[in-house]
Amino acid sequence: MTTSHLTMEQLLAVRDGDRSEPAYADAHQHVGECDGCRLELDRLHQRTARLRALPRMTPARNQFPAVRTRVVAERRQRRLRAVGIGGLAIAASLALVVMGRDLVQPNRLDAEQQIATAKSESQQLEQKLHDWDPQSRVLNSRAAVMVMEIEDRIADLDVRLAQTQESDRQLVLWQQRVGLMNTLVEVHLTRASNVGF
Amino acid sequence: MDATAMQDAETVITKARLGDPVALEALYRAYSGPVYNLARRICRTTEDAEDVLQETFFEVCRSIRNYRGDGSIWGWIRSVASSKALMRLRRNRYRETDELDAEYVPSAKEASPGLRMDLEAAMDRLTVTARAVVWLHDVEGYTHDEIAEQMGRTVSFSKSQLARAHSRLRVWLGDEATV
Ligand SMILES: [Zn+2]
Repeated sequence: MTTSHLTMEQLLAVRDGDRSEPAYADAHQHVGECDGCRLELDRLHQRTARLRALPRMTPARNQFPAVRTRVVAERRQRRLRAVGIGGLAIAASLALVVMGRDLVQPNRLDAEQQIATAKSESQQLEQKLHDWDPQSRVLNSRAAVMVMEIEDRIADLDVRLAQTQESDRQLVLWQQRVGLMNTLVEVHLTRASNVGF
Repeated sequence: MDATAMQDAETVITKARLGDPVALEALYRAYSGPVYNLARRICRTTEDAEDVLQETFFEVCRSIRNYRGDGSIWGWIRSVASSKALMRLRRNRYRETDELDAEYVPSAKEASPGLRMDLEAAMDRLTVTARAVVWLHDVEGYTHDEIAEQMGRTVSFSKSQLARAHSRLRVWLGDEATV
């Protein structure tokens, strides 16, 4: 038996059955033979029980809308990268698109040109959404769910677009993307309200 | 949890992994309380705890696709939460090193025998690291190995922080054995 009383570290090792602690066996034996250390161990158990019984704290605010906003913003960034535009590049690419469109008759567009048109429409819609600044507005839950579903479908299209080489197939996908972007913009513009200030 | 509830929970997790926003919100509703409680017990302020809550669920929404389903969903969410809370501590301690990491010296009034501090107050008096270790080990049930890994410290550091915390709590709570 050890002559001095146990340290807190030894008491904790006994409480937790931590045999990796040096002299665990001695400490364990000491508790069995020393009233003082047994009492300390009891108090340690009681203190732990009191810690576990502390009242549970609950958040004052629902943080999920903020989480959702961040998830949506991040997806949007990913989407912008997928159509090959990011932030400042949007305006420049749009200017080219608008000029190009005036010069070409719709009935003479081949698949490549039609893809370019659909892509530019996609970009214009992204720009419109960017100007609308969805992050400064609040969507109700139903609208937020719709937004996320549409964004998922767009993300899915972007994956397929990246894997498709054939221009006819690409055109179909780009046109679907324009349709979804239109819906997305419409949901944002009709369902959002400004952040209250 | 009964079989139906368990099945429902599995459905929610499966949908959440596919990015279903309703399922993600259901996860938030189910676990925001325990996450916030953990964060609030580790962080100094409600603002920090709210940030940790938000950071945790942002990470959950982004990474749930990678959750492989081995181990409970709460175990996984909790590990995200504790790592976010510890990250917050590291960031804040960077600013507040002297104030918060200094050894706490009780005032004459607090140190006088017979004047016990309440447990909440005593926990608040611990250094942020000691308090985090007590909470993660004694309440959340983390092992010293897990705490050491999350904190980027050694196992003996975790053990000595726990011992140091209990030694102080023992005095402040008037738990000294009188034999
Ligand atoms: Zn003893």
